[in-house]
Amino acid sequence: MAKTLTFGVSGVNGYPVHVEVFGINGIPGLEIIGLPDASVRESRDRVNAAIINSGKQMPARRITINLAPADMKKEGPSFDLPIAVGVLIANREIITDPAIETEKIAMFGELSLDGHVQPIAGALPMVISAKENGVRDVILPEKNAREAACIEGINIMPVSHLRQVIAFLEGSGTIKKQEQISFDSLKNEIFASPDMAQIKGQGGAKRALEVAAAGGHNMIMIGVPGSGKTMLARCLPGILPPLSFEEALETTRIHSISGKLPPNSGLMVLRPFCAPHHNASVASLIGGGQDAKPGEVSLAHNGVLFLDEIPEFSRSALEALRQPLEDGVVNVARVKKQAQYQSSFMLIAAMNPCPCGFYGSSRKVCRCTPQEIRRYLDRISGPLLDRIDLQIEVDAVPVQEINTSAPAEPSAAVAKRVSAARMIQQERYRGTGKHCNAQLNNDEVKLYCTPDAEGIRLLNAAMETMHLSMRGYQRILKVARTIADLDHTDLIGSVHIAEAIQYRELDQKYWR
Amino acid sequence: MATETSAFVYHAWLASAALPPGVINGLLKEYGTTEKVWNAFISGHNKSEGIPAAGLKTLKQNMADEWLESAERLLLQHQIGAFTITDSDYPSLLLQMEEPPSILFYQGDLQCMRQNNLAMVGSRAASYDGQKAAGKIARNLSRKGIGIISGMAGGIDTASHTGCIEGGSRTIAVTGCGLDIVYPSENLRLRDRILENGGLLLSEYAPGEKPVGWHFPFRNRIITGLSKALIVIEAKIRSGTMTSVQHALNQGKEVFVYPGDPTSRYFEGNHRLLREGAVYFTTAEDILEDMGWLDNPEIIRQNSGCSGRTQITTSEEEAVFSALKPGRLGFEQIAERSGLSPAVLMSTLTMLQIKGVIEALPGKQYELKDSDSQHYSDPEE
Repeated sequence: MAKTLTFGVSGVNGYPVHVEVFGINGIPGLEIIGLPDASVRESRDRVNAAIINSGKQMPARRITINLAPADMKKEGPSFDLPIAVGVLIANREIITDPAIETEKIAMFGELSLDGHVQPIAGALPMVISAKENGVRDVILPEKNAREAACIEGINIMPVSHLRQVIAFLEGSGTIKKQEQISFDSLKNEIFASPDMAQIKGQGGAKRALEVAAAGGHNMIMIGVPGSGKTMLARCLPGILPPLSFEEALETTRIHSISGKLPPNSGLMVLRPFCAPHHNASVASLIGGGQDAKPGEVSLAHNGVLFLDEIPEFSRSALEALRQPLEDGVVNVARVKKQAQYQSSFMLIAAMNPCPCGFYGSSRKVCRCTPQEIRRYLDRISGPLLDRIDLQIEVDAVPVQEINTSAPAEPSAAVAKRVSAARMIQQERYRGTGKHCNAQLNNDEVKLYCTPDAEGIRLLNAAMETMHLSMRGYQRILKVARTIADLDHTDLIGSVHIAEAIQYRELDQKYWR
Repeated sequence: MATETSAFVYHAWLASAALPPGVINGLLKEYGTTEKVWNAFISGHNKSEGIPAAGLKTLKQNMADEWLESAERLLLQHQIGAFTITDSDYPSLLLQMEEPPSILFYQGDLQCMRQNNLAMVGSRAASYDGQKAAGKIARNLSRKGIGIISGMAGGIDTASHTGCIEGGSRTIAVTGCGLDIVYPSENLRLRDRILENGGLLLSEYAPGEKPVGWHFPFRNRIITGLSKALIVIEAKIRSGTMTSVQHALNQGKEVFVYPGDPTSRYFEGNHRLLREGAVYFTTAEDILEDMGWLDNPEIIRQNSGCSGRTQITTSEEEAVFSALKPGRLGFEQIAERSGLSPAVLMSTLTMLQIKGVIEALPGKQYELKDSDSQHYSDPEE
């Protein structure tokens, strides 16, 4: 009888799993119990081969392995390593060093047939859970080490082969501990891939992007194909304030359990950018599947969800976005499993102005009838549109401008202004549970976003002459608040209102 | 007022059967007034040859006091007046046409019929360019004191009425149903604006009469009949607009046709008409010139050029205004020419839009509201 300690993942949280191995004389075999799924059950063959290829014998006995607690479903190949170690100890293939408390070391990893330890999904939540459960040492796959290296107060022991673990437990070898990586040092290593400086022209759209970033506002861009909507959206993570440590943990956890983290990556420093294709199903966007996996809205947590060609998304998929947009979480319920995932993201949507894409273009003539255009625009429902504060038009940049115009401002400079505006907002909303202007409800808009007399007069005049809707009114005030914050002024003036009105273009021209 | 209204009730009764105008004219000639026709019917001494059987049946059905009461209610409630072909102030322009309407219901100011009016027509499902052109031409004609007559349908009709109102002249709408009904219903606001601005609504259909398909081509003859000439903005080959053209030609009116994009199917009808000899025009000035109104003292002359100029107050607005003078420009080009930062330019554009100096177009384009140039300016100029 032997016991080893490992961790499983449920939702985004880890939980301890005790691997109990019991050997008895009888027909040789290996049985795994405790609700294993197919990949856990297959562990038996991987463990068998890995033990033999590590220079040990597979005992000719009948072995029962119990994964406790026995009522939780176990998934994934991360149990290979603790099972292999348990089998070896139970059959005295390893005589453990008395100085080592084997049962108190958490270990996880997938084994390949030749005994190598492969990376697994969910390493970060498992290590966090281990720390919360008072575990001091964790043996994990080498390629997951950086992911966990930011967690303080726990020893990370990365291994690449089962042989290393055996040697360590026998006392004949050591495992080099992973050095702690500070979150700040990670931040310095990489920077946003597309930079605003690479976008020529588009001053108006870039300004709108800056305002969106500064207030956390959702945005929709309308423009002819090739006008650079996707490129603009990709620049957004680079001008948003960097992730805080807590945010980075939240986001990395979700990516970790989805197996979306590339090997050897550390905590995510950059805000995620998710751009699902428009044929995405509701389950892939929101989360779901048999085991209630997180969807794109959760992978985009603390980052950007970019929906290109938004009218092409299915109606049900778009409607399903409303809960996460409103609450910042999604509840995924399936027959066998339920989970709640965080999903607080900025929505950036893009669309063509009409089915052919050239309505209003200065370079090509639109061939759509007004009815076709109306039908196309109507695919985006009012309630979804209600959650989008900025609406802008993007026109293609003429070729000569691409060649001639002066170098544009780099993302870093924009990011600085954005951060400053965000600081002002955090200060203002301290203690209210809000942290940016986009989150204000109607009452709070009244409280925080009242413009001066001149601003009110202007806004009322605009409502009358520019066909703005009442729902646009609140949004203009919120956006004007952000523009004033970018200006470092507390008072919302008429210039701020006037600029904010320009970001309701579609109300004026399209959704009349 | 009360006595007048009661006379209108008999107008409504006689119009309620939608008899051919010729038949009603005959009855009016015979008896003199609608009330006398009613009396003749009540006493049974009516002449009924020439009246279609269905029409006669409806007239008799409606010969009840309850019907008169409900008609009176509708007339009062919607402030609808009426006049007949035998009235002395019946517009002489209408008498010159075939099948002049024998009874007309109206809301608003009848004086509108005495000004110089031009009919402006085009498709309901109109292209963006067509609606813009209609609005601009109507506005510029209206500035010179010309009224616009149209049918208060969607598309070109709406743009024409709106343009006329914006230009300061009074506009006339001839509808295809009773005046208590607004069709299409989204034009409710337009109807109110027409009346608020001293305009006139006309219909030959009695209150309560539904918008039936055949009414519309038929009422087109009144639109052209009341006008000095017809302006066609946008027409497909087979469309109601073509029936208006037919009426105008029968009535001996000039037909002006806006050229439009030759490759667009929206303007197919325009090009057919132009080939057949219709008058080509692109601006309001062209029409005034051809109508001989350029030097006519009756036509109020206003300073041509851009009225927006006077409303410019800041140097930023001035910079945007001069950038836009040559014609339509995109946001980025305005930014480049005016030298303003995107943030400042955004708010300046809003100010100018509210003042009505510039207009925002799809595709992040802007232009001066009154410029007659429809063309994109050459970015290299």
